Amino acid sequence: MKYASYVGLEIHIHLLAKSKAFCSCAARFGDEPNTNVCPVCLGHPGVLPALNEEALFMGYRVAQALGCELSRRTIFERKNYFYPDMPKNYQISQFAAPLGVSGGFEFEVKGETRRLAIRECHLEEDAGKLIHAGSVTLIDYNRAGFPLLEIVTEPDLKDGEEAEAYLRSFRRLVRHLGVCDGNMEEGSLRCDANVSVNEEGRGLGVKVELKNMNSSRFVRMGLDYEIRRQTARLAEGKSIQQETRLWNENRDVTETMRKKESASDYRFFPEPDLPPFEPGEAFLERVAGLAIELPLGRKRRFVGVLGLAEEQADQLVEEKSVADYFESALALGAEARTAATWITGELRAQLLRSGQDIAASPLGPRRFAALLGALAEGRIQGTIAKQVLKAVLDEDKDPEAIIAERGLEQITDRGALGAMVDEVLAREAATAARVRSGDKKALAFLVGEAMKASSGRAAAGTLKEIVMERLS
Amino acid sequence: MLDELEPWSGLLSDPKRRAAYEAYAEGWEGRIGAFLQFSPDEPAGRRGAGQAAAKPAARLAAAGPAGRDPAEPAAAPTTEQGPTGALALVPFAVKDNIAVEGFRMTCGSRILEDYRPPYTATCVARLQAEGALVVGKTNLDEFGMGSSCDNSAFARTSNPYDSALVAGGSSGGSAAAVAAGLVPFALGTDTGGSVRQPANFCGVYGLKPSYGAVSRFGLAAYASSLEGAGVLGRSIDVVEEVFRAMVGVDPLDQTTVAGPGRPGTEAAEPKSVGVVRGLGGLDPAVEAAYRGALAALADSGLRLVELDLPMLDYVLPAYYTIATAEASANLARYTGIAYGRRCAGAENPDDLVRRSRGEGFGDEVKLRVLVGTFVLRSGFQDRYYHKAQTLRRAIRDELAGALREVDLIAMPVFPTQAFAHGDSGMDQFQQKMADKFTCTANLAGLPALAVPTGLSGGLPTGIQLLAASFREDRLFSCARRLAPAFPLPEPPSFSREFLR
Repeated sequence: MKYASYVGLEIHIHLLAKSKAFCSCAARFGDEPNTNVCPVCLGHPGVLPALNEEALFMGYRVAQALGCELSRRTIFERKNYFYPDMPKNYQISQFAAPLGVSGGFEFEVKGETRRLAIRECHLEEDAGKLIHAGSVTLIDYNRAGFPLLEIVTEPDLKDGEEAEAYLRSFRRLVRHLGVCDGNMEEGSLRCDANVSVNEEGRGLGVKVELKNMNSSRFVRMGLDYEIRRQTARLAEGKSIQQETRLWNENRDVTETMRKKESASDYRFFPEPDLPPFEPGEAFLERVAGLAIELPLGRKRRFVGVLGLAEEQADQLVEEKSVADYFESALALGAEARTAATWITGELRAQLLRSGQDIAASPLGPRRFAALLGALAEGRIQGTIAKQVLKAVLDEDKDPEAIIAERGLEQITDRGALGAMVDEVLAREAATAARVRSGDKKALAFLVGEAMKASSGRAAAGTLKEIVMERLS
Repeated sequence: MLDELEPWSGLLSDPKRRAAYEAYAEGWEGRIGAFLQFSPDEPAGRRGAGQAAAKPAARLAAAGPAGRDPAEPAAAPTTEQGPTGALALVPFAVKDNIAVEGFRMTCGSRILEDYRPPYTATCVARLQAEGALVVGKTNLDEFGMGSSCDNSAFARTSNPYDSALVAGGSSGGSAAAVAAGLVPFALGTDTGGSVRQPANFCGVYGLKPSYGAVSRFGLAAYASSLEGAGVLGRSIDVVEEVFRAMVGVDPLDQTTVAGPGRPGTEAAEPKSVGVVRGLGGLDPAVEAAYRGALAALADSGLRLVELDLPMLDYVLPAYYTIATAEASANLARYTGIAYGRRCAGAENPDDLVRRSRGEGFGDEVKLRVLVGTFVLRSGFQDRYYHKAQTLRRAIRDELAGALREVDLIAMPVFPTQAFAHGDSGMDQFQQKMADKFTCTANLAGLPALAVPTGLSGGLPTGIQLLAASFREDRLFSCARRLAPAFPLPEPPSFSREFLR
């Protein structure tokens, strides 16, 4: 018997709006508990929600980037359930008319490009946070009312690997859009999954919801475990129960959280306190105006048009700021492949070392292009260029200034180089004699000594030529 | 300032007059129990006169969406040089389901017995900005659910005309306080007639504005899509003045809209009144008073036009389905966790919520929450909630159509006059059916006004007028035409001596 598995994802992202979804409190992590609160997000009697248009705007931007149809009239609904950290005991969410529907998003997995259908994107509010401390339970409402965008995919993924690849591409997208920091550890990006297994050709099986996967790796592990579990049960002739299961990251298994019978009836109905939102032309034009080249498209352009290696292009588009930096340097005359190599290699390493961000580092695209220019013109050479790069980051000066100040330009003058060589040959007369009698290995040593004498600035080819001339 | 408000202005800052006022109020309160809190002395009640009131309002005002000016509503003509507004230093009362900082807000419920709101409702803040002073919070049926005021967890309010009778509800405290002359006007809330019916029982004017005309920010929600703040007053001029001070867009209530009928809009005199054909089930005294009022409308030069409104038969089922559905969500926030009554000795959060609610809510509230939960169950919404919404649209369309033919519609307010405490002569179902005439305006979002038309058998009677959305002006001008025929009645031992 062959089995097929079907995986769909429900991703929640915290939008990087300045204020909460329905009041003016700061939407910020890490503050003292219960400091970013007001009667509205605490759900006091008599308060009303006031829609934060910035959050909605970000939601529309994500929906557009995911290829969704954007709603011309989106409505909010109350999703009713009791939970101690939810101030109103209903969540303002969207149900019948979410802000975006029927999209699709391309991503790469196993060396292929796949398109995952997106069912919908809807805006909602987050709850507070329960803190169990010994015998008491405390509540921090700072997070209550944070704007959340939920993205629901169709169950078109096959396994954990595909889900992880999609999730990574999605994370890259929202970071490129600048609407979410994508931090799964802090919970600003959360991913639940639904998974079912059935005999091949017989459609979806019984759906199991999977929660508590706090990294993309756990999403892969959780789904793969669950697919194996369900497949094994079916192979033994057992049935699958509709239920919600939790990933246990300590034991690497999924465990039952609640059965279907105890599932909630959310009793959705339209939120009477918020009128439907009808984005005008101006709003939609602003959304369109901020559309970005999707990371995957950009990567393909880097490979196809600029001739970069796949892996290098992937590294460049991982962060929008890096890809933007790369293209700025190109516009200032840097050669694509050299720039890519330096950005993903030496520059990345140096920035990691100094803890600087590429967009804000002293080595802006102009200085970077100038550095690569000096290298291309042969005025400095590779090892020197690395020193200059480090000096720019440390001292915030133009590369040209550093080259001039420290006299780092390459020495090509045959007279000067000859003098250095002669000095080395005089000092290393015995070695020189061995070369003359045919010991090729000793030649490299002598060239190296001469290079040292020039503090690494000697034009390597010329230097070697002179050494060989002198010894022939 | 209106002539009739002048004597009230500054009453509380004049020790001699205030003492007389407090004695008068005390005398009445022993008989009617209109107030849950009465503190004309408390500084909090006077916050409108100073900057104190502006503070919470300003903090909350920032909750408005980006791009709008949140400070728009609170442009007070007061502060340093003392109040100069249209309501300067005039005392008024506020129903106890409207938030006023400095006062408790109980909603007539044990679950909010000691709750002190950290902010002030927009409608109150706007009156305070005109210089008005809150003297107290008035009794109501728990969370506005009821039409007698007997359904309050703390007190029952009696009718100033006969303390064996109810004041009506749910804004019965406000109606009784105005009728007894304890305040020149009071705020109520009207979800299904809760301003108009007690106004009718107590012989005062009661306005329910158009939905969206007055901010609901600060009204403890019962049925959000139906309710709004209303005004009870002893004259139509005062009611209009107060309405004009409250009306307008509020960034904190995104269901408010800038409609016509706002201050400065040209008011056209109404010419015709629609009279609904075949209204049955009225008490004889109510029927007679209603006929008399229609005759007075005709005498005042209005053309009476007979109307058929078949959808009126569906008002009650639609109303109670929607009201209870919304209530089931609106009242879910009362859990004893962050504020309000908390049960003792809870073992875990779920236990705490369950028991706090069990202890805190009265029977009628529990009934409506249960019904609302029932009608919203998935799989049953088509049968109940969605069907009610369909009916609501049909009712709204029918009334809008009628109001294109006529300028106003006249109806009774309630099928009976004020009834006895604990015995309306109706069972629970009949009592709800009796809300038919008032609920209509709430379902359709229309402005409606209860106009007192004198006494019958020693008890007040009245008529209800409905107008198209944002045509409050027509209600006011029609009420003015009726005023000469129906001088405002005064209950026994009514006096204005203390104002002199």
